[in-house]
Amino acid sequence: MNTPLPRRHFLQTSTALIALPFLESLGFRKFASAATGANARPPKRLLFIGFGWGVTEESWFPNVTQKGADYVLPAGLQPLERHKADFTVVQGLVNKYNTNGHYGSTFWLTGANEFGEPGQSFHNSVSVDQVAAEHLSNDTRFDSISLDCGAAAGSSGHGPGLSLSWNGRGKPIGGPRNPLEAFHRLFAKDTTPIEQQKVMLSQRRSVLDNAMEEARDLQRGLGKTDKAKLDEYFQGIRAIETRLSRDEKWLGVPRIEAPLLEPKPGLAGYEEIKLMYDIMVAALQTDCTRVLTYRQPVSTLLTSLDIKLDSHTMSHYHTGRGEKEEVSKRRDLSQSELLARLFDKLKSTKEADGTSLFDHTTVAYGSNIRTGHTLDNCPTILAGRGAGLKLGQNHVVTKDTPLCNAWLTLLQGVGSNAERHGDSTGVIKELLA
Amino acid sequence: MPSLPMRSFFAALFFVLAACAYSAQETPKAVVNPMHRAVLKTHCQGCHGEQKQKGKFRVDDLPEFIDSVQGAQRWQKVLNAMNSGEMPPDEEKQIESRVKADILEDLANGIVSARRSLSDQHGVIALRRLNRREYGNTLRELLGAKIDVSELPSDTRGGGFDTVGASLFMSGNQFEQYEALGREALEEAFALQAAAKVEKKLRFEAEKTLDSFAKINEGAYDRVRRASLWIKGVDEAAARPENATIVEELRKTEKTDTFLRNAWRKIPGAPAPEQFGFNNNVNPEVLSDMPSQIKTQFMAYERHYFEMTGLDTGAYLTIPAKPCFPPHANTWIPLVIPSDWPIGDYIFRVRVGATEQATPERRFLEFGKDPVTHKKTASLSTHHITGTMEAPQVIEIPYTLTSKLREGGNRTLFVRERGAGDVHNAVARFQTALSKNGIGPDLALWVDWLEIERKLTPENETPPGMRALRGIPLEDNAPAPSQEALGAALERFVWEAFRGVPAPKGTVDRLLNVYNARINSGAKHRAALLETLTSVLSAPRFLYRPEPESNEERRALNATELASRLSYFLWGAPPDAALLALAGGADLLLPDVLHAQVDRLLNDPRAEGFVTPFTTQWLLLDRLDLFQFNLGRYPRFDDNTKEAARNEVLETFAYLLKNNAPMSDLLKTDYVIINPVLAHYYGLEIGQGDEYRKVVLPAGSPRGGLLGMAAIMAMGSNGEHSNPVERGVWVLRKLLNDPPPPAPANVPEISRLAGKVLTTRERLQAHQEDPQCSSCHRKIDPIGFGLENFDAVGQWRTADSYTALDSAGKPDLKSKKTWSIEAAAIFYKGPAFQDYQAMRDILAVRTEGFARGFSAALIEYALGRPCGFSDENLVEDVVSQAKEKGLAAREFIHALVRSKEFHSK
Repeated sequence: MNTPLPRRHFLQTSTALIALPFLESLGFRKFASAATGANARPPKRLLFIGFGWGVTEESWFPNVTQKGADYVLPAGLQPLERHKADFTVVQGLVNKYNTNGHYGSTFWLTGANEFGEPGQSFHNSVSVDQVAAEHLSNDTRFDSISLDCGAAAGSSGHGPGLSLSWNGRGKPIGGPRNPLEAFHRLFAKDTTPIEQQKVMLSQRRSVLDNAMEEARDLQRGLGKTDKAKLDEYFQGIRAIETRLSRDEKWLGVPRIEAPLLEPKPGLAGYEEIKLMYDIMVAALQTDCTRVLTYRQPVSTLLTSLDIKLDSHTMSHYHTGRGEKEEVSKRRDLSQSELLARLFDKLKSTKEADGTSLFDHTTVAYGSNIRTGHTLDNCPTILAGRGAGLKLGQNHVVTKDTPLCNAWLTLLQGVGSNAERHGDSTGVIKELLA
Repeated sequence: MPSLPMRSFFAALFFVLAACAYSAQETPKAVVNPMHRAVLKTHCQGCHGEQKQKGKFRVDDLPEFIDSVQGAQRWQKVLNAMNSGEMPPDEEKQIESRVKADILEDLANGIVSARRSLSDQHGVIALRRLNRREYGNTLRELLGAKIDVSELPSDTRGGGFDTVGASLFMSGNQFEQYEALGREALEEAFALQAAAKVEKKLRFEAEKTLDSFAKINEGAYDRVRRASLWIKGVDEAAARPENATIVEELRKTEKTDTFLRNAWRKIPGAPAPEQFGFNNNVNPEVLSDMPSQIKTQFMAYERHYFEMTGLDTGAYLTIPAKPCFPPHANTWIPLVIPSDWPIGDYIFRVRVGATEQATPERRFLEFGKDPVTHKKTASLSTHHITGTMEAPQVIEIPYTLTSKLREGGNRTLFVRERGAGDVHNAVARFQTALSKNGIGPDLALWVDWLEIERKLTPENETPPGMRALRGIPLEDNAPAPSQEALGAALERFVWEAFRGVPAPKGTVDRLLNVYNARINSGAKHRAALLETLTSVLSAPRFLYRPEPESNEERRALNATELASRLSYFLWGAPPDAALLALAGGADLLLPDVLHAQVDRLLNDPRAEGFVTPFTTQWLLLDRLDLFQFNLGRYPRFDDNTKEAARNEVLETFAYLLKNNAPMSDLLKTDYVIINPVLAHYYGLEIGQGDEYRKVVLPAGSPRGGLLGMAAIMAMGSNGEHSNPVERGVWVLRKLLNDPPPPAPANVPEISRLAGKVLTTRERLQAHQEDPQCSSCHRKIDPIGFGLENFDAVGQWRTADSYTALDSAGKPDLKSKKTWSIEAAAIFYKGPAFQDYQAMRDILAVRTEGFARGFSAALIEYALGRPCGFSDENLVEDVVSQAKEKGLAAREFIHALVRSKEFHSK
């Protein structure tokens, strides 16, 4: 579970890493050039955006009989009209293991079976963004960024988790919880001189070393279950070390100037989502990372639209009174507006070769919840030309097609050699151009 | 209803226990009821049998026992298909409604049981990390530092308690947060130590606010006066006959007077604002609106204010005419803690009295900080004013100033009248009074002075972590300590931080290495020491509560481990010196000593660290924060009332614990534990003092017990309307210990009633039409009907109404329908009741299920793992021991702490 050897090895080599010629052999030139944008073929990127409590089913989904490009855009998607040729609505996808009508995001990107492990009351597995990050983000400052909405997540139909992302051992991954935190994570300037940064890095390592030793000492006396639990601590320290060695590779490379102003603190709902989208675009534009997820708020979105109804009540609009459905529709419109604006930004942001971010990015947008407690036909929009998808379609998949088949299609579309993901049974060929 | 002990765990029809007597090792299996299998054979096997296997699914070989994940998954599929209405297909013969509802009910419950059985951890407790609140409490106890740890994940999501080890995750991100927070706490502790001897005191006489109140508003009124003159000038110019054509043309685009005045340059002869003393970049629109703004409406109020007596020695608090304006209107009276005063614990005092005009609802004073930016948020506390201007009272309120709070407006403390910071209501109150008397609301509260005091920290109150560092300088102005002295201090610190576990071999050396590495790279002593201690606070033995078990065998805890388990259970905080001393001599393992310690811990104020988190999670009180209450509709349920209502639940449980009163009092009793805010809300007499206390109810009161509490009923609403389903589910889960299965996915919702104006009952009646709905709602809804006399904010009502909204979102008054509440209903397969009181009487005697549910919650909370089937004997033991003592609250805790499970790793 935890062998000292690789770490010793890491420590020995780490000092050597600081020498610059060494860096080039590690691919430094490649990412340095990507950062400056000269002569580089734009990389592929993935965005995953989850919106918790589903949609208004009567007015969000296109008519299933109007398959293909020639379909009427339903009311809930109207704000996306100008992009109609550039996204595909996929209908009929299911996450067959999810049985919890309040979990819109917990298993959305993983396809795991909550009850899959005997003797455990909760189980999850790796999310698709993390698989993609391993493939796409070797050359960037951050392997991936998982954005969240903090306290609002609890009342936004997302279910357990700290973001949409889950690591290789099925543990939740946390990340910036508001635009300000995200901005700082990505664009904070470190004005410390390099020499001092090196000293700090080595001090950091000695602190982590100490923590590692303490954990190892503790681990020896523990039983099986506790060892497995303490393993999260080891994993956590390793994750920091991996980042430190990334930081080390980037030592001396100035942080990229943020293409937007520092956000104001305290934004909530509509403006918060809008700004998070801007930050996601900025992260891609500056090639800080190539994979982002965002678990966006629903409860504060409603509040920011001056809606008093709470989001859970709204999501069960059917059984009750007319105004719930009205609110549900307003929610759809606002979300679609924001998404349309994101597409605008991706299209108008140019790469060095004159193409746009939209040409190299794939946006997956949806939820595990269709509406109310309904978990079949997960609302799904795929957009962008980064994964070779056929766009402008109303695509209805064959019955019982796993949502993970769509994720596998994206993975392979961006060049990963993954053969399966979650409960996938294969790629969805019809989605490909 | 739940008279059989097993009733709560098994649906009696579909699933029965395979083994009636079982041990902890032997998990019961869920068995499929043959009657229901026969139905499946008739209706499903034709397509899903051996011959025909449509969708590759067979029902004929479904497992008889659900004892595997795969088996559960197959039955789940049957449940899903029937719930969604997919099966049987429309063209096939349908299962009779009643039978289908029974199958669905049993199957859903059976799968819940099976899942629970499959996930049973058989007593294994996964290594527990300190959860967020325990972490904060631990820093407080160790270092005396009260820091804000809210940036950590709350650890409360996922349904279970925040003590359950398996759900307490760790990540690199979080590790770094622990480092930063640990560092912050140490900085705080160092600063507190440095200021331990500082004493400060300051009194602010309220009448000192009056000068600026008068003077600064004078300026505002002068601006209004000059703006009025300018408006008059522009309007006169616009009215001149020779300007008629120009004005007519302008009016096409500038439709309001304000817009027209904004275009004053185009009107010949209109005066410039400069002529009235405004500078040339003033916005004419602002000028135009100025006189009609509420600023002027405040003038009469202000005149009235200055005609009052008592202004030579104090000042009155006002109700704002507009949020935050005028700023010097004494809507609040502030006291600023001087910026050079150190952090630490302060005492704030205010001398205050109510005027003769103060009506009962206005005799409340709010205390808070940062009045400007926090104008919309709740105050820190609310106080009942029983003093008068002749005999004012002094209120004492503790306030902790932390380093973080020294920034911004947090040094500005203030008092205001209750609700004066609530934008929505305060302005409405002002306007209502103004329209009645031409002045504004009566002045209700008079303040003599505000005072702030810092006392020195007595030597014996130095927190243990800081005491461990004795002899080591905390600042750089003293010579750095020797390695020996430092090593000894670190060893003591580690012992405290690891809660009585001595530093393992090598730990102190490694810490010295961390320290020396810093010194060698140029850091000073203080910085190096801070970093070294920070690494103790992010070490696994601090962040987790290890209970080693080297040979994979369950073993009894040693006394030190038991001390931690006990203190984190009953305080959510580390064991104190007394507990560790008892653990050191192993006396804690003696039953009598342990019993006495349980009592001591429960009597300590730190028991709040058990009462609040346990009660909040057990009874799902977080739901109070899930939505906004409509204050326009329910102005009395303001933040003060909401917090008081929440506290009523907590304080009632605290009362039961303190007095060892029966838990069944939560089902029905003749008293409430309330403060003056709630007494006022409930219409009860309470007397003087802000503390929560026992008030005996008049005969016939609906209060008394959980169901009569405003918070519980408000949770069963959406802030606007009552929600009988939510209430019914809550009662089944929490009072009857008969939880309905989780809301199933993919049940077709009932849409044909959307937009119709119906009574609540008419609307819910639709649940009985479909077996998918009725299988659960036949149990849930009747209980909800019995509680319909409580409105969305827990007030008693005899009628309800519904008004639809039109397409613009405005209430369509024509649609309004009013009906009187009919609370009569019939428990599913149970007795009928005529009204709320009769239903409560039925629930009140079902103490067995309630006690079992409470015990299971305690077990999960205390042991940090789900309460599984294998805990059935433990639940039984706890309940029966408590029963012998009349279900006295403490007996549950004593019984649990005595149990083998509580003493075992």
